[in-house]
Amino acid sequence: MTRLLLLLFLSLAPVAGAAAQEASLVADLSDRGIEVSTGFTGADLLVFGATDAPIGPGGDEILVVVRGPTRPVVVRRKVRALGVIWVNGPAARFSGVPGFYAIAGTRPAWQILPEQERQNNGLGLDALPLVSTGARNPHFRAALLDLEKESGLWLEDAATVEIGANRLFHVRVPLPAAVPTGDYRVEVLLVRSRRIHTRQEMEFRVDRVGVADRIATVAEAQPLVYGVGCVLLAAFAGWFGSVLFRRG
Amino acid sequence: MQVYLPIAEMSADALLLIGIGFGVGWLSGLFGVGGGFLLTPLLILIGIPSPVAVASGANQTLGASVSGLIAQWRRGNVDARMGGVLLVGGLLGSFAGVQLFALLRRIGQVDTAVSLFYVVVLGTVGVLMVMESARAILRRRRSVRRRLHAHYWMHGLPLKARFRKSRLYISVIPPVLVGFGIGVLSAVMGVGGGFMLVPAMIYFIGMPTAVVIGTSLFQVVFVAANVTLLQAVQVGSVDILLTLLLLGGGVAGAQFGAALGTRLRGEETRALLGLMVLGVAVSLLWGLVRRPDNLFSLGPAL
Repeated sequence: MTRLLLLLFLSLAPVAGAAAQEASLVADLSDRGIEVSTGFTGADLLVFGATDAPIGPGGDEILVVVRGPTRPVVVRRKVRALGVIWVNGPAARFSGVPGFYAIAGTRPAWQILPEQERQNNGLGLDALPLVSTGARNPHFRAALLDLEKESGLWLEDAATVEIGANRLFHVRVPLPAAVPTGDYRVEVLLVRSRRIHTRQEMEFRVDRVGVADRIATVAEAQPLVYGVGCVLLAAFAGWFGSVLFRRG
Repeated sequence: MQVYLPIAEMSADALLLIGIGFGVGWLSGLFGVGGGFLLTPLLILIGIPSPVAVASGANQTLGASVSGLIAQWRRGNVDARMGGVLLVGGLLGSFAGVQLFALLRRIGQVDTAVSLFYVVVLGTVGVLMVMESARAILRRRRSVRRRLHAHYWMHGLPLKARFRKSRLYISVIPPVLVGFGIGVLSAVMGVGGGFMLVPAMIYFIGMPTAVVIGTSLFQVVFVAANVTLLQAVQVGSVDILLTLLLLGGGVAGAQFGAALGTRLRGEETRALLGLMVLGVAVSLLWGLVRRPDNLFSLGPAL
Protein backbone atom coordinates (compact mmCIF):
# COMPACT_ATOMS: atom_id res chain seq x y z
CA MET A 1 0.00 0.00 0.00
CA THR A 2 2.75 2.42 0.99
CA ARG A 3 4.72 1.57 -2.09
CA LEU A 4 1.65 2.15 -4.19
CA LEU A 5 1.20 5.55 -2.62
CA LEU A 6 4.80 6.44 -3.26
CA LEU A 7 4.31 5.56 -6.90
CA LEU A 8 1.25 7.78 -6.93
CA PHE A 9 3.27 10.60 -5.41
CA LEU A 10 6.08 10.17 -7.87
CA SER A 11 3.67 10.36 -10.76
CA LEU A 12 2.17 13.45 -9.18
CA ALA A 13 5.53 15.04 -8.54
CA PRO A 14 6.01 16.69 -11.97
CA VAL A 15 2.52 18.19 -11.71
CA ALA A 16 3.30 19.40 -8.23
CA GLY A 17 6.56 20.83 -9.47
CA ALA A 18 4.77 22.80 -12.18
CA ALA A 19 2.15 24.06 -9.75
CA ALA A 20 4.85 25.01 -7.27
CA GLN A 21 5.84 27.97 -9.39
CA GLU A 22 2.81 29.69 -7.92
CA ALA A 23 2.32 27.71 -4.69
CA SER A 24 4.98 26.31 -2.46
CA LEU A 25 2.52 23.74 -1.12
CA VAL A 26 -0.01 21.43 -2.78
CA ALA A 27 -2.05 18.90 -0.89
CA ASP A 28 -5.10 16.70 -1.33
CA LEU A 29 -7.24 14.14 0.48
CA SER A 30 -7.86 10.50 -0.36
CA ASP A 31 -11.59 11.00 0.24
CA ARG A 32 -13.97 13.92 0.07
CA GLY A 33 -16.79 11.88 1.53
CA ILE A 34 -16.61 9.27 4.29
CA GLU A 35 -19.67 7.02 4.30
CA VAL A 36 -21.00 5.66 7.56
CA SER A 37 -23.04 2.55 6.77
CA THR A 38 -24.36 -0.09 9.19
CA GLY A 39 -21.08 -1.96 8.77
CA PHE A 40 -18.93 1.11 9.55
CA THR A 41 -16.05 0.40 11.93
CA GLY A 42 -13.97 3.50 11.30
CA ALA A 43 -11.92 4.69 8.35
CA ASP A 44 -8.58 6.20 7.47
CA LEU A 45 -8.23 9.54 5.77
CA LEU A 46 -5.05 10.02 3.80
CA VAL A 47 -3.73 13.57 3.57
CA PHE A 48 -0.90 13.91 1.08
CA GLY A 49 0.92 16.52 -0.94
CA ALA A 50 4.20 18.02 -2.05
CA THR A 51 6.27 21.16 -1.44
CA ASP A 52 8.74 23.17 -3.48
CA ALA A 53 11.59 22.84 -1.00
CA PRO A 54 13.03 19.88 0.93
CA ILE A 55 11.05 18.82 3.99
CA GLY A 56 12.59 17.28 7.06
CA PRO A 57 15.36 18.01 9.53
CA GLY A 58 16.91 21.36 8.74
CA GLY A 59 14.31 22.16 6.10
CA ASP A 60 10.58 22.83 6.02
CA GLU A 61 8.09 21.17 8.35
CA ILE A 62 4.50 20.10 7.65
CA LEU A 63 1.54 20.23 10.04
CA VAL A 64 -1.82 18.64 9.28
CA VAL A 65 -4.90 19.56 11.33
CA VAL A 66 -8.34 17.97 10.95
CA ARG A 67 -11.28 19.60 12.70
CA GLY A 68 -14.75 18.08 12.90
CA PRO A 69 -18.12 19.77 13.41
CA THR A 70 -18.49 21.51 16.76
CA ARG A 71 -21.15 20.92 19.40
CA PRO A 72 -21.73 22.03 22.98
CA VAL A 73 -20.83 19.50 25.68
CA VAL A 74 -21.19 19.30 29.43
CA VAL A 75 -18.46 17.95 31.69
CA ARG A 76 -19.76 16.74 35.03
CA ARG A 77 -17.88 15.83 38.13
CA LYS A 78 -19.15 13.12 40.44
CA VAL A 79 -19.45 13.95 44.12
CA ARG A 80 -20.41 11.87 47.10
CA ALA A 81 -24.04 12.37 48.09
CA LEU A 82 -25.11 11.60 51.66
CA GLY A 83 -21.69 10.05 52.15
CA VAL A 84 -22.81 6.92 50.34
CA ILE A 85 -23.37 7.06 46.59
CA TRP A 86 -21.66 8.94 43.80
CA VAL A 87 -23.85 11.34 41.84
CA ASN A 88 -23.10 13.98 39.23
CA GLY A 89 -22.35 17.27 40.94
CA PRO A 90 -20.87 20.48 39.53
CA ALA A 91 -20.83 20.82 35.76
CA ALA A 92 -19.13 23.01 33.19
CA ARG A 93 -20.63 23.68 29.78
CA PHE A 94 -18.27 24.07 26.86
CA SER A 95 -19.57 25.50 23.61
CA GLY A 96 -18.03 24.99 20.19
CA VAL A 97 -16.16 21.84 21.10
CA PRO A 98 -14.95 20.00 17.98
CA GLY A 99 -16.41 16.51 17.78
CA PHE A 100 -13.19 15.43 16.13
CA TYR A 101 -9.72 16.97 16.24
CA ALA A 102 -6.48 15.53 14.98
CA ILE A 103 -3.11 17.15 14.60
CA ALA A 104 -0.05 15.52 13.13
CA GLY A 105 3.26 16.91 11.95
CA THR A 106 6.65 15.94 10.72
CA ARG A 107 7.50 16.87 14.31
CA PRO A 108 5.17 17.90 17.18
CA ALA A 109 3.80 21.41 16.72
CA TRP A 110 5.37 22.74 19.92
CA GLN A 111 8.82 21.83 18.60
CA ILE A 112 8.53 23.62 15.30
CA LEU A 113 6.50 26.75 16.10
CA PRO A 114 6.90 29.51 18.70
CA GLU A 115 4.41 29.12 21.55
CA GLN A 116 2.50 32.32 20.70
CA GLU A 117 2.00 31.35 17.08
CA ARG A 118 0.89 27.85 18.04
CA GLN A 119 -1.66 29.13 20.56
CA ASN A 120 -3.05 31.74 18.12
CA ASN A 121 -3.68 29.12 15.46
CA GLY A 122 -5.14 26.47 17.78
CA LEU A 123 -2.47 23.93 16.95
CA GLY A 124 -2.49 21.26 19.63
CA LEU A 125 -5.04 20.10 22.18
CA ASP A 126 -3.87 22.60 24.80
CA ALA A 127 -4.29 25.41 22.28
CA LEU A 128 -7.95 24.71 21.50
CA PRO A 129 -10.13 27.74 22.26
CA LEU A 130 -12.50 26.09 24.76
CA VAL A 131 -14.73 28.55 26.58
CA SER A 132 -16.76 27.24 29.48
CA THR A 133 -19.66 28.43 31.54
CA GLY A 134 -20.59 26.95 34.90
CA ALA A 135 -18.03 25.51 37.26
CA ARG A 136 -14.82 27.52 36.93
CA ASN A 137 -12.08 25.08 37.63
CA PRO A 138 -9.19 24.17 35.32
CA HIS A 139 -9.80 20.51 36.18
CA PHE A 140 -12.89 20.49 33.97
CA ARG A 141 -10.92 21.55 30.93
CA ALA A 142 -8.26 18.94 31.63
CA ALA A 143 -10.97 16.30 32.12
CA LEU A 144 -12.57 17.22 28.79
CA LEU A 145 -9.21 16.74 27.07
CA ASP A 146 -8.67 13.39 28.79
CA LEU A 147 -12.14 12.08 27.99
CA GLU A 148 -11.98 13.11 24.34
CA LYS A 149 -8.51 11.62 23.97
CA GLU A 150 -9.73 8.40 25.58
CA SER A 151 -12.62 8.14 23.12
CA GLY A 152 -10.15 8.34 20.23
CA LEU A 153 -11.86 11.43 18.83
CA TRP A 154 -9.07 13.83 19.73
CA LEU A 155 -5.66 12.87 18.48
CA GLU A 156 -2.42 14.71 19.04
CA ASP A 157 0.60 13.34 17.21
CA ALA A 158 -0.97 9.89 17.05
CA ALA A 159 0.64 9.57 13.64
CA THR A 160 3.58 11.46 12.20
CA VAL A 161 3.65 13.01 8.78
CA GLU A 162 5.87 10.76 6.68
CA ILE A 163 8.28 12.25 4.19
CA GLY A 164 8.98 10.62 0.86
CA ALA A 165 11.59 11.65 -1.69
CA ASN A 166 12.35 14.87 0.21
CA ARG A 167 9.35 16.87 -1.03
CA LEU A 168 6.41 14.48 -0.70
CA PHE A 169 4.52 14.00 2.49
CA HIS A 170 1.58 11.93 3.62
CA VAL A 171 -0.21 11.09 6.84
CA ARG A 172 -3.00 8.69 7.61
CA VAL A 173 -5.59 10.14 10.02
CA PRO A 174 -7.68 7.45 11.72
CA LEU A 175 -11.41 8.21 12.00
CA PRO A 176 -12.92 5.94 14.69
CA ALA A 177 -16.36 4.31 14.46
CA ALA A 178 -17.87 6.95 16.74
CA VAL A 179 -16.80 9.79 14.43
CA PRO A 180 -19.56 12.45 14.30
CA THR A 181 -21.25 13.19 11.00
CA GLY A 182 -20.95 16.59 9.36
CA ASP A 183 -18.47 18.90 7.63
CA TYR A 184 -14.78 18.54 8.37
CA ARG A 185 -12.01 20.99 7.70
CA VAL A 186 -8.45 19.91 6.92
CA GLU A 187 -5.62 22.40 7.18
CA VAL A 188 -2.14 21.69 5.86
CA LEU A 189 0.51 24.12 7.07
CA LEU A 190 3.97 24.58 5.66
CA VAL A 191 6.31 25.79 8.39
CA ARG A 192 9.47 27.52 7.19
CA SER A 193 12.02 29.01 9.64
CA ARG A 194 9.62 28.62 12.59
CA ARG A 195 6.83 30.55 10.90
CA ILE A 196 3.69 29.48 9.05
CA HIS A 197 4.70 30.08 5.45
CA THR A 198 1.77 28.70 3.50
CA ARG A 199 -1.50 27.08 4.42
CA GLN A 200 -3.99 25.13 2.37
CA GLU A 201 -7.52 24.35 3.49
CA MET A 202 -9.68 21.48 2.28
CA GLU A 203 -13.00 20.05 3.26
CA PHE A 204 -14.63 16.67 3.45
CA ARG A 205 -17.89 15.30 4.79
CA VAL A 206 -18.79 12.37 6.99
CA ASP A 207 -22.25 11.14 6.06
CA ARG A 208 -24.43 8.30 7.15
CA VAL A 209 -25.58 6.25 4.17
CA GLY A 210 -27.96 3.39 3.50
CA VAL A 211 -30.04 1.84 6.26
CA ALA A 212 -28.21 3.66 9.06
CA ASP A 213 -28.91 6.99 7.41
CA ARG A 214 -32.55 6.23 6.72
CA ILE A 215 -33.16 5.14 10.31
CA ALA A 216 -31.48 8.21 11.77
CA THR A 217 -33.20 10.59 9.34
CA VAL A 218 -36.69 9.26 10.01
CA ALA A 219 -36.06 9.18 13.77
CA GLU A 220 -35.02 12.83 13.66
CA ALA A 221 -37.49 14.26 11.17
CA GLN A 222 -40.61 12.23 11.97
CA PRO A 223 -40.22 10.86 15.51
CA LEU A 224 -43.89 9.87 15.73
CA VAL A 225 -43.77 7.80 12.54
CA TYR A 226 -40.49 6.30 13.71
CA GLY A 227 -41.96 5.44 17.13
CA VAL A 228 -45.00 3.75 15.61
CA GLY A 229 -42.69 1.89 13.24
CA CYS A 230 -40.54 0.67 16.16
CA VAL A 231 -43.63 -0.57 18.01
CA LEU A 232 -44.99 -2.44 14.98
CA LEU A 233 -41.63 -3.82 13.94
CA ALA A 234 -40.80 -5.11 17.42
CA ALA A 235 -44.26 -6.66 17.78
CA PHE A 236 -43.96 -8.34 14.40
CA ALA A 237 -40.41 -9.56 15.08
CA GLY A 238 -41.47 -10.98 18.43
CA TRP A 239 -44.44 -12.81 16.96
CA PHE A 240 -42.57 -14.02 13.90
CA GLY A 241 -39.62 -15.21 15.97
CA SER A 242 -41.80 -17.21 18.30
CA VAL A 243 -43.43 -18.93 15.30
CA LEU A 244 -40.03 -19.59 13.77
CA PHE A 245 -38.38 -20.99 16.89
CA ARG A 246 -41.39 -22.81 18.32
CA ARG A 247 -40.29 -26.15 19.69
CA GLY A 248 -42.44 -29.18 19.38
CA MET B 1 -19.08 -8.78 13.53
CA GLN B 2 -19.35 -5.06 14.17
CA VAL B 3 -22.54 -3.20 13.37
CA TYR B 4 -23.14 0.54 13.52
CA LEU B 5 -26.13 1.49 15.69
CA PRO B 6 -27.58 4.63 14.07
CA ILE B 7 -29.28 6.15 17.14
CA ALA B 8 -26.67 5.17 19.71
CA GLU B 9 -24.14 6.49 17.15
CA MET B 10 -21.63 3.81 18.00
CA SER B 11 -20.60 0.48 16.65
CA ALA B 12 -21.11 -2.68 18.67
CA ASP B 13 -20.57 -6.39 18.20
CA ALA B 14 -23.74 -7.81 16.63
CA LEU B 15 -23.00 -11.33 17.87
CA LEU B 16 -22.56 -10.05 21.42
CA LEU B 17 -25.94 -8.29 21.24
CA ILE B 18 -27.67 -11.38 19.82
CA GLY B 19 -25.95 -13.44 22.54
CA ILE B 20 -27.18 -11.09 25.28
CA GLY B 21 -30.66 -11.28 23.75
CA PHE B 22 -30.49 -15.07 23.75
CA GLY B 23 -29.29 -15.31 27.36
CA VAL B 24 -31.89 -12.88 28.67
CA GLY B 25 -34.57 -14.52 26.51
CA TRP B 26 -33.63 -17.95 27.89
CA LEU B 27 -33.96 -16.73 31.47
CA SER B 28 -37.18 -14.91 30.74
CA GLY B 29 -38.66 -18.01 29.13
CA LEU B 30 -37.57 -20.03 32.14
CA PHE B 31 -39.13 -17.67 34.65
CA GLY B 32 -41.99 -16.30 32.58
CA VAL B 33 -40.97 -12.65 32.89
CA GLY B 34 -39.92 -10.17 30.21
CA GLY B 35 -36.30 -9.95 31.32
CA GLY B 36 -36.00 -6.20 30.81
CA PHE B 37 -34.58 -5.85 34.31
CA LEU B 38 -31.55 -7.88 33.22
CA LEU B 39 -31.31 -6.48 29.71
CA THR B 40 -31.09 -2.75 30.40
CA PRO B 41 -28.26 -3.01 32.98
CA LEU B 42 -26.36 -5.37 30.66
CA LEU B 43 -26.65 -2.91 27.77
CA ILE B 44 -25.39 -0.07 29.97
CA LEU B 45 -22.54 -2.34 31.08
CA ILE B 46 -21.32 -2.91 27.51
CA GLY B 47 -21.28 0.84 26.88
CA ILE B 48 -24.67 1.66 25.34
CA PRO B 49 -25.70 5.15 26.58
CA SER B 50 -28.36 4.90 29.32
CA PRO B 51 -31.15 6.70 27.41
CA VAL B 52 -30.72 4.37 24.42
CA ALA B 53 -30.49 1.29 26.66
CA VAL B 54 -33.70 2.21 28.52
CA ALA B 55 -35.73 3.13 25.42
CA SER B 56 -34.56 0.18 23.32
CA GLY B 57 -35.02 -2.13 26.33
CA ALA B 58 -38.68 -1.13 26.52
CA ASN B 59 -39.00 -1.66 22.78
CA GLN B 60 -37.44 -5.13 23.09
CA THR B 61 -39.72 -6.03 26.01
CA LEU B 62 -42.71 -5.21 23.82
CA GLY B 63 -41.56 -7.59 21.12
CA ALA B 64 -40.61 -10.33 23.59
CA SER B 65 -44.03 -10.20 25.28
CA VAL B 66 -46.23 -10.19 22.18
CA SER B 67 -46.06 -13.90 21.44
CA GLY B 68 -46.72 -14.75 25.09
CA LEU B 69 -49.75 -12.50 25.08
CA ILE B 70 -51.14 -14.14 21.92
CA ALA B 71 -50.70 -17.60 23.44
CA GLN B 72 -52.35 -16.62 26.74
CA TRP B 73 -55.19 -14.84 24.95
CA ARG B 74 -55.97 -17.98 22.92
CA ARG B 75 -56.16 -20.00 26.14
CA GLY B 76 -58.56 -17.44 27.62
CA ASN B 77 -56.16 -16.48 30.40
CA VAL B 78 -56.43 -12.73 29.92
CA ASP B 79 -58.84 -10.69 32.04
CA ALA B 80 -59.27 -7.92 29.49
CA ARG B 81 -61.36 -5.82 31.84
CA MET B 82 -58.78 -5.91 34.61
CA GLY B 83 -56.07 -5.45 31.97
CA GLY B 84 -57.87 -2.36 30.70
CA VAL B 85 -58.10 -0.83 34.18
CA LEU B 86 -54.42 -1.57 34.84
CA LEU B 87 -53.61 -0.11 31.45
CA VAL B 88 -55.32 3.21 32.20
CA GLY B 89 -52.99 3.57 35.18
CA GLY B 90 -50.08 2.20 33.14
CA LEU B 91 -50.44 4.71 30.31
CA LEU B 92 -50.69 7.65 32.73
CA GLY B 93 -47.74 6.28 34.67
CA SER B 94 -45.55 5.79 31.62
CA PHE B 95 -46.37 9.30 30.44
CA ALA B 96 -45.32 10.70 33.83
CA GLY B 97 -42.27 8.45 33.81
CA VAL B 98 -41.03 9.69 30.43
CA GLN B 99 -41.42 13.30 31.64
CA LEU B 100 -39.37 12.40 34.71
CA PHE B 101 -36.80 10.72 32.48
CA ALA B 102 -36.50 13.76 30.20
CA LEU B 103 -36.07 15.98 33.26
CA LEU B 104 -33.38 13.73 34.72
CA ARG B 105 -31.58 13.79 31.39
CA ARG B 106 -31.61 17.59 31.31
CA ILE B 107 -30.06 17.86 34.75
CA GLY B 108 -27.55 15.11 33.96
CA GLN B 109 -28.65 12.56 36.54
CA VAL B 110 -29.99 9.81 34.28
CA ASP B 111 -27.26 7.27 35.01
CA THR B 112 -27.45 7.63 38.76
CA ALA B 113 -31.25 7.72 38.80
CA VAL B 114 -31.62 4.63 36.62
CA SER B 115 -29.16 2.69 38.80
CA LEU B 116 -30.83 3.90 41.97
CA PHE B 117 -34.28 2.91 40.72
CA TYR B 118 -32.92 -0.53 39.88
CA VAL B 119 -31.27 -0.99 43.27
CA VAL B 120 -34.36 0.03 45.24
CA VAL B 121 -36.94 -1.81 43.14
CA LEU B 122 -34.95 -4.97 42.45
CA GLY B 123 -33.62 -5.09 46.01
CA THR B 124 -37.12 -4.93 47.48
CA VAL B 125 -38.69 -7.33 45.00
CA GLY B 126 -35.76 -9.76 45.26
CA VAL B 127 -35.89 -9.92 49.06
CA LEU B 128 -39.66 -10.38 49.04
CA MET B 129 -39.49 -13.12 46.43
CA VAL B 130 -36.76 -15.07 48.18
CA MET B 131 -38.56 -14.82 51.53
CA GLU B 132 -41.90 -15.78 50.08
CA SER B 133 -40.62 -18.78 48.15
CA ALA B 134 -38.48 -19.97 51.06
CA ARG B 135 -41.56 -19.89 53.26
CA ALA B 136 -43.53 -21.74 50.60
CA ILE B 137 -40.86 -24.44 50.25
CA LEU B 138 -40.74 -24.94 54.02
CA ARG B 139 -44.51 -25.03 54.30
CA ARG B 140 -45.04 -27.33 51.34
CA ARG B 141 -46.14 -30.38 53.32
CA ARG B 142 -48.68 -28.61 55.50
CA SER B 143 -51.42 -27.80 53.07
CA VAL B 144 -53.43 -24.85 54.31
CA ARG B 145 -56.89 -24.26 52.97
CA ARG B 146 -56.81 -20.80 51.51
CA ARG B 147 -59.65 -18.40 51.11
CA LEU B 148 -60.56 -17.27 47.62
CA HIS B 149 -58.59 -14.10 48.26
CA ALA B 150 -57.92 -11.73 51.12
CA HIS B 151 -59.87 -8.48 51.23
CA TYR B 152 -57.94 -5.34 52.10
CA TRP B 153 -59.50 -2.04 53.06
CA MET B 154 -58.44 -0.65 49.70
CA HIS B 155 -60.67 -3.10 47.87
CA GLY B 156 -63.67 -1.48 49.52
CA LEU B 157 -62.99 2.02 48.17
CA PRO B 158 -65.60 3.59 45.86
CA LEU B 159 -65.78 2.94 42.09
CA LYS B 160 -66.34 -0.75 42.56
CA ALA B 161 -66.41 -2.94 39.47
CA ARG B 162 -66.95 -6.60 38.75
CA PHE B 163 -64.06 -8.48 37.15
CA ARG B 164 -65.65 -11.73 36.05
CA LYS B 165 -62.53 -13.59 34.87
CA SER B 166 -60.67 -12.73 38.06
CA ARG B 167 -63.73 -13.49 40.19
CA LEU B 168 -63.38 -10.15 41.97
CA TYR B 169 -65.73 -7.35 42.92
CA ILE B 170 -63.41 -4.58 44.08
CA SER B 171 -62.72 -0.88 43.67
CA VAL B 172 -60.80 0.06 40.51
CA ILE B 173 -58.49 2.34 42.54
CA PRO B 174 -55.94 -0.33 43.60
CA PRO B 175 -55.41 -1.70 40.07
CA VAL B 176 -55.12 1.82 38.62
CA LEU B 177 -52.51 2.70 41.25
CA VAL B 178 -50.60 -0.54 40.61
CA GLY B 179 -50.71 0.14 36.87
CA PHE B 180 -49.51 3.72 37.38
CA GLY B 181 -46.56 2.66 39.51
CA ILE B 182 -45.48 -0.01 37.04
CA GLY B 183 -45.87 2.52 34.20
CA VAL B 184 -43.48 4.98 35.86
CA LEU B 185 -40.90 2.26 36.52
CA SER B 186 -41.30 0.96 32.99
CA ALA B 187 -40.43 4.35 31.52
CA VAL B 188 -37.47 5.06 33.79
CA MET B 189 -36.00 1.55 33.91
CA GLY B 190 -36.82 0.29 30.43
CA VAL B 191 -38.53 -2.81 31.79
CA GLY B 192 -41.94 -4.30 31.18
CA GLY B 193 -42.45 -4.65 34.89
CA GLY B 194 -43.82 -8.21 34.83
CA PHE B 195 -41.62 -9.23 37.76
CA MET B 196 -43.30 -6.59 39.92
CA LEU B 197 -46.74 -6.73 38.36
CA VAL B 198 -47.23 -10.47 38.89
CA PRO B 199 -46.68 -10.41 42.67
CA ALA B 200 -48.70 -7.18 42.95
CA MET B 201 -51.63 -8.79 41.16
CA ILE B 202 -51.52 -11.91 43.32
CA TYR B 203 -50.92 -10.40 46.75
CA PHE B 204 -52.24 -6.86 46.40
CA ILE B 205 -55.22 -7.15 44.07
CA GLY B 206 -55.92 -10.78 44.92
CA MET B 207 -56.29 -12.18 41.41
CA PRO B 208 -56.28 -15.95 40.80
CA THR B 209 -52.91 -17.18 39.47
CA ALA B 210 -54.42 -18.64 36.30
CA VAL B 211 -55.15 -15.22 34.77
CA VAL B 212 -52.21 -13.33 36.30
CA ILE B 213 -49.56 -14.09 33.66
CA GLY B 214 -51.83 -13.38 30.70
CA THR B 215 -53.22 -10.17 32.18
CA SER B 216 -49.78 -8.88 33.15
CA LEU B 217 -48.54 -9.55 29.61
CA PHE B 218 -51.52 -7.56 28.34
CA GLN B 219 -50.47 -4.58 30.45
CA VAL B 220 -46.75 -5.02 29.66
CA VAL B 221 -47.24 -5.07 25.88
CA PHE B 222 -49.30 -1.88 25.79
CA VAL B 223 -47.28 0.04 28.36
CA ALA B 224 -44.01 -0.91 26.63
CA ALA B 225 -45.53 0.25 23.33
CA ASN B 226 -46.46 3.56 24.93
CA VAL B 227 -42.99 3.99 26.46
CA THR B 228 -41.37 3.23 23.09
CA LEU B 229 -43.54 5.81 21.38
CA LEU B 230 -42.99 8.52 24.00
CA GLN B 231 -39.24 7.89 24.23
CA ALA B 232 -38.98 8.05 20.44
CA VAL B 233 -40.87 11.36 20.29
CA GLN B 234 -39.53 13.11 23.40
CA VAL B 235 -36.03 11.78 23.93
CA GLY B 236 -35.30 10.29 20.50
CA SER B 237 -33.38 7.38 21.91
CA VAL B 238 -35.03 4.23 20.51
CA ASP B 239 -32.52 2.31 18.41
CA ILE B 240 -34.55 -0.06 16.25
CA LEU B 241 -31.47 -1.90 15.01
CA LEU B 242 -30.40 -2.62 18.58
CA THR B 243 -33.94 -3.74 19.42
CA LEU B 244 -34.13 -6.12 16.47
CA LEU B 245 -30.73 -7.69 17.22
CA LEU B 246 -31.74 -8.29 20.84
CA LEU B 247 -35.12 -9.68 19.77
CA GLY B 248 -33.48 -12.01 17.26
CA GLY B 249 -31.58 -13.73 20.06
CA GLY B 250 -34.34 -13.23 22.60
CA VAL B 251 -37.23 -15.03 20.95
CA ALA B 252 -35.02 -18.05 20.22
CA GLY B 253 -33.72 -18.14 23.79
CA ALA B 254 -37.20 -17.80 25.27
CA GLN B 255 -38.40 -21.01 23.60
CA PHE B 256 -35.53 -23.04 25.07
CA GLY B 257 -35.98 -21.44 28.48
CA ALA B 258 -39.71 -22.13 28.52
CA ALA B 259 -39.09 -25.81 27.69
CA LEU B 260 -36.85 -26.13 30.75
CA GLY B 261 -39.17 -24.03 32.89
CA THR B 262 -42.00 -26.55 32.69
CA ARG B 263 -39.78 -29.11 34.43
CA LEU B 264 -39.03 -26.90 37.47
CA ARG B 265 -41.33 -26.50 40.47
CA GLY B 266 -42.93 -23.14 41.08
CA GLU B 267 -41.30 -22.37 44.43
CA GLU B 268 -37.78 -23.26 43.27
CA THR B 269 -38.22 -21.18 40.12
CA ARG B 270 -39.38 -18.20 42.16
CA ALA B 271 -36.49 -18.57 44.62
CA LEU B 272 -33.99 -18.71 41.76
CA LEU B 273 -35.56 -15.68 40.08
CA GLY B 274 -35.50 -13.84 43.40
CA LEU B 275 -31.79 -14.58 43.86
CA MET B 276 -31.04 -13.40 40.34
CA VAL B 277 -32.98 -10.17 40.88
CA LEU B 278 -31.05 -9.62 44.13
CA GLY B 279 -27.76 -10.29 42.35
CA VAL B 280 -28.45 -7.58 39.77
CA ALA B 281 -29.46 -5.15 42.54
CA VAL B 282 -26.28 -5.79 44.52
CA SER B 283 -23.99 -5.38 41.52
CA LEU B 284 -25.66 -2.08 40.59
CA LEU B 285 -25.44 -0.90 44.20
CA TRP B 286 -21.72 -1.65 44.12
CA GLY B 287 -21.44 0.51 41.01
CA LEU B 288 -23.05 3.39 42.89
CA VAL B 289 -21.08 3.26 46.13
CA ARG B 290 -17.62 2.45 44.85
CA ARG B 291 -15.38 5.37 43.96
CA PRO B 292 -15.56 5.78 40.15
CA ASP B 293 -12.31 5.34 38.19
CA ASN B 294 -12.88 8.70 36.55
CA LEU B 295 -14.80 11.30 38.50
CA PHE B 296 -15.51 13.28 35.35
CA SER B 297 -17.93 12.36 32.62
CA LEU B 298 -18.82 13.89 29.30
CA GLY B 299 -22.29 14.39 27.92
CA PRO B 300 -24.07 16.31 25.20
CA ALA B 301 -25.39 19.71 26.31
CA LEU B 302 -29.17 19.85 26.02
